[in-house]
Amino acid sequence: MSINWVSFSILLILFAIVALVGFAATRWRRAEDMLHLNEWGLGGRGFGTFVTWFLLGGDVYTAYTFIAVPALVFGTGSAGFFTLSYTIMVYPIAFIFLPRLWSIARVHGYVTPADFVRGRYGSRGLALAVAFTGILAVMPYIALQLVGIQAVLTVMGIGGSSSNAFVKDLPLIIAFLVLAGYTFVSGLRAPALIAFIKDTLIYVMIIVAIIYIPARVGGWHHIFGVANTHLTSTNPKTGKPNGSLILEPVGYWAFATTALGSALALFMYPHNITGTFAARRRNVIRRNVAALPAYSVVLGLIALLGYVALATPGVTDQVKAHDANAQLALPFMFRDMFPSWFAGIAFSAVVIGALVPAAIMSIAAANLFCRNIWVEYFRPDASNAEQTRVAQTASLLVKLGALMFVLFVNTTYAIQLQLLGGIWIVQTFPAIVAGLYTRWFNRWALLIGWAVAMVWGTIEAYRLPSPGKPGTHFGASSDTLPLIGHTVYIGLTGLVMNLIIAVLLTWLFNALKVPVGTDETQPHQFVADPEPGAPPPIPVIAGVGHETGAADSG
Amino acid sequence: MAHSGPTPRRTGVWVLITVLVLISILGTLIVPIYARSSPYIGAFPFFYWYQLLWVPFVAILMAICYLVSTHGSRSSTSGPVPSGRDGSGEAR
Repeated sequence: MSINWVSFSILLILFAIVALVGFAATRWRRAEDMLHLNEWGLGGRGFGTFVTWFLLGGDVYTAYTFIAVPALVFGTGSAGFFTLSYTIMVYPIAFIFLPRLWSIARVHGYVTPADFVRGRYGSRGLALAVAFTGILAVMPYIALQLVGIQAVLTVMGIGGSSSNAFVKDLPLIIAFLVLAGYTFVSGLRAPALIAFIKDTLIYVMIIVAIIYIPARVGGWHHIFGVANTHLTSTNPKTGKPNGSLILEPVGYWAFATTALGSALALFMYPHNITGTFAARRRNVIRRNVAALPAYSVVLGLIALLGYVALATPGVTDQVKAHDANAQLALPFMFRDMFPSWFAGIAFSAVVIGALVPAAIMSIAAANLFCRNIWVEYFRPDASNAEQTRVAQTASLLVKLGALMFVLFVNTTYAIQLQLLGGIWIVQTFPAIVAGLYTRWFNRWALLIGWAVAMVWGTIEAYRLPSPGKPGTHFGASSDTLPLIGHTVYIGLTGLVMNLIIAVLLTWLFNALKVPVGTDETQPHQFVADPEPGAPPPIPVIAGVGHETGAADSG
Repeated sequence: MAHSGPTPRRTGVWVLITVLVLISILGTLIVPIYARSSPYIGAFPFFYWYQLLWVPFVAILMAICYLVSTHGSRSSTSGPVPSGRDGSGEAR
């Protein structure tokens, strides 16, 4: 495959601009004490409605949206539209609990969700469980970003054609080194600032694509017709139809439970909680809940582009020629339909759209490692400067972990990476969200419920092969539930199991008078809205003692 | 949700918000509502345009939730600066 130098040059230029902005972001809204973890890890906790909208948009809408979703629609049709239902449901759910989580974090200076669990339940074990789950769950999510970048590079003919594994992955490695560099230097300020560029490119790309391409390939009647023909034809590998244009009753449960499970999981992900905690005021969160659906429109339109790709001459054949990798469908369509220069812009949008969330995810995981593992278990009296240094280093290691996922997990449908992360992260829902409303649950009951659901969910997901590829693992994320006989998202089944165990054991432990642990929160703090001028307290690990924790002056 | 003596007005606000949130979630959670091809809008089967239309609809419902939640708190707190410390930021 030959490289289109016009597209490639535009990608290079935009990538260079993004890298410069990323490194320069360290000067943006510069604080006196940049070595405080509130600065590196939460951008100073001062983002208003506008910046938060871009930051959370950059967080939520990732290579998942731009590559994985259209790939799923391209391959299976209507089933892929659970993603739209999921991004519709997520904001009403967030409206309920997210402001409370923001308030309690602001009052106590919590940097991570595990900090909250630590303070609420007085349980180091439960906090460790939440931190571990967060770090684990973002790795496949970052890996999904890598897969997205890889898809674009393959279609552009960069590296992908070489038989040498190192040369093949070199462009990806370079992109990731640059990402790691500016994340290390600027922390959350970098993705927050780059998110402006990312979203401008994304909106331009999608508006042009949805107007220009369907008309060129013969209009929507033609597109839906071709899609229907393709989806109802039999897939030789599985012996079943490829999918359906309208969801069949047999798919209702998987569709609804995967959408609901993903929606419950989304704001449990540490990177989305990081984006939330970085907001200046409580109402910034609520306003964003009403404004963020603008991105869901984009997701819906991009999902439709999966059908447009089916109707674009040559795309299906090229995808088949590349190991039936549906993730290439949209990039191939862009390359064949757009003039080279605009294809370059579209490719840049996807690559930058993957780099922004990858940066936030690695920062969030690094915050978790630093606060809830390093400081908690190894260096309780670490200064703020040391905490920031540890988090910076951890952000590099998390990205390496993500690379492992790309190498070892089946990526036929990269969306499985995100759904796997969801199976894990949604198991922290009871501890975090129930904890925002009640201390009724016993901390050990929550921990045991979490552990059972994590182990069960992981085993279930491991056992599921990719459709038509027996012997593979982590190939699907929903399975038939014996009692009700429907296909259900493993994450949601695990969550129900988790909750039942937590309720039963709480009854039992209360009857046995098991100690409930200390609770450092006050009811009114869950609705507090501290003035932005008031500096958040220095994050101190509860129970360690304010004297030692506050000894650092930066 | 309230920790001390919610006024009837505030309760009303939260009932309204709960209803709007439930509508927003159930609208696409109950798949049989929209898993059909007709009526069409142009070439678009119902399944697609229903979901796409639901996005701005939920955005409007959430904006209403935001407005009533802030309105409820402003009219129920006294003093210029509602501070979380004394619990007066209750329904914000």
